[in-house]
Amino acid sequence: MPIDVHFLARLFPALLEGAEVTVELAVLTMAICVVWGLVVALGQATRGPLGWAAGAYIQIVRNTPLLIQMYIVYFGLSLVGVPLSGFASGLLALCLQNGGYVAEIYRGGLQSVSARQYEAGRALGMRRWTLYRSVILPQVIARVIPPLANQGISITKDTSQVAAIAVMEIMKVAQVWVESSANTYDVFLAVGLIYLVLTSVISVGARVAERQLAFVS
Amino acid sequence: MKTFAPLLHSYWYLFRGAGMTVLMATTAVVPATLLGALLALAQIFGSRATRSAIVGYIFIIRGIPLLVLLTFVYYLLPLTGVDLPPFWGVVLVLACYYAAFMSEAFRAGILSLPQAQWDAAKSLGMSRRLMLRIVIFPQALRLAAPPFINLCINLIKATSLVSIVGLWELTMASREVVERTLAPFQIFLAAAAMYFCICYALALYGKYLERRVLVGH
Repeated sequence: MPIDVHFLARLFPALLEGAEVTVELAVLTMAICVVWGLVVALGQATRGPLGWAAGAYIQIVRNTPLLIQMYIVYFGLSLVGVPLSGFASGLLALCLQNGGYVAEIYRGGLQSVSARQYEAGRALGMRRWTLYRSVILPQVIARVIPPLANQGISITKDTSQVAAIAVMEIMKVAQVWVESSANTYDVFLAVGLIYLVLTSVISVGARVAERQLAFVS
Repeated sequence: MKTFAPLLHSYWYLFRGAGMTVLMATTAVVPATLLGALLALAQIFGSRATRSAIVGYIFIIRGIPLLVLLTFVYYLLPLTGVDLPPFWGVVLVLACYYAAFMSEAFRAGILSLPQAQWDAAKSLGMSRRLMLRIVIFPQALRLAAPPFINLCINLIKATSLVSIVGLWELTMASREVVERTLAPFQIFLAAAAMYFCICYALALYGKYLERRVLVGH
């Protein structure tokens, strides 16, 4: 299959414009989920209705497809008088779904620290805040970075689904170009490469962060 | 009651869509599991060339969104002249995609067994085949079962993406009903509820398996 260089020269700027939207969506989703996931995880750790609600939230968003969540937000909210743009709907749905996954990652990280670490800290007379800051959290952070990076990769890939609600990110740009040029191979080769670069950046970044932050091997 | 009228007229159509989703997911999960097991074994016991080929395959699959591959096949199949019905094309993509993730789950299951298990089997004079069959695989499968179930849930959710390339299943069915009834909230929520019932049942089974895995340790 010969690769048409002139075609690629015209295609790439358009795809990179789409990639910008993809990166924006992915970075915003990750930033929001890192915080929102923590809120949900802490909520779930409490007893009573709050803990129950957080648990139900996690199960609901994890067990329904992102695409359906996007449709509910995009088509449903506009009907009840809260019209959101495709970008905003996509972002909201991505955060809803991935917040559930990130909360589970935090929960796993907190549970993986053994009770003896808490006891030892208290036995040394540490205050609650010091105990968390200098004993518990460093261990939790080291353990949640690899799964968080995986989630980041999966978020980046999931952003392609907002093409279904007409947001011009890479995937939608690619569809437009395929339909107008019928140069399927070149377009998808380029799209695949861009996604591979984006996801590789995340895994390399995570490996660096892990080495910097982990003091326990 | 009037708000739910669209649902009363269309619930049977949605149920049929859910049936198609389950059919598609089960058809894809069988080859995905077999290929995943094969890849895991080849990566552990294969030659260096085989191993790096598989690592490359997993790298590419993990880095590219499923939607890109589905769309690629959708545009490509008619061009290649291969007379494959869209259903089988989609099943093929889903199987190849999830095989990569399943091989990782299986491989982690095998590699997380303590070395002592291998040594003990060897010192009893077992052949490699016998050792794998009665010592390694039974334990590795138990460890790999919970992540395997999670992957099955992801696969079921991922079948919603085939609606974007024009195949008929639950998500497509709900979109059709919404176009006729203009009741996105009710219909998409009903579709979400159906996905939830399927996936949550699997998730509960996964949790049950996880508890059983922990019994031995």
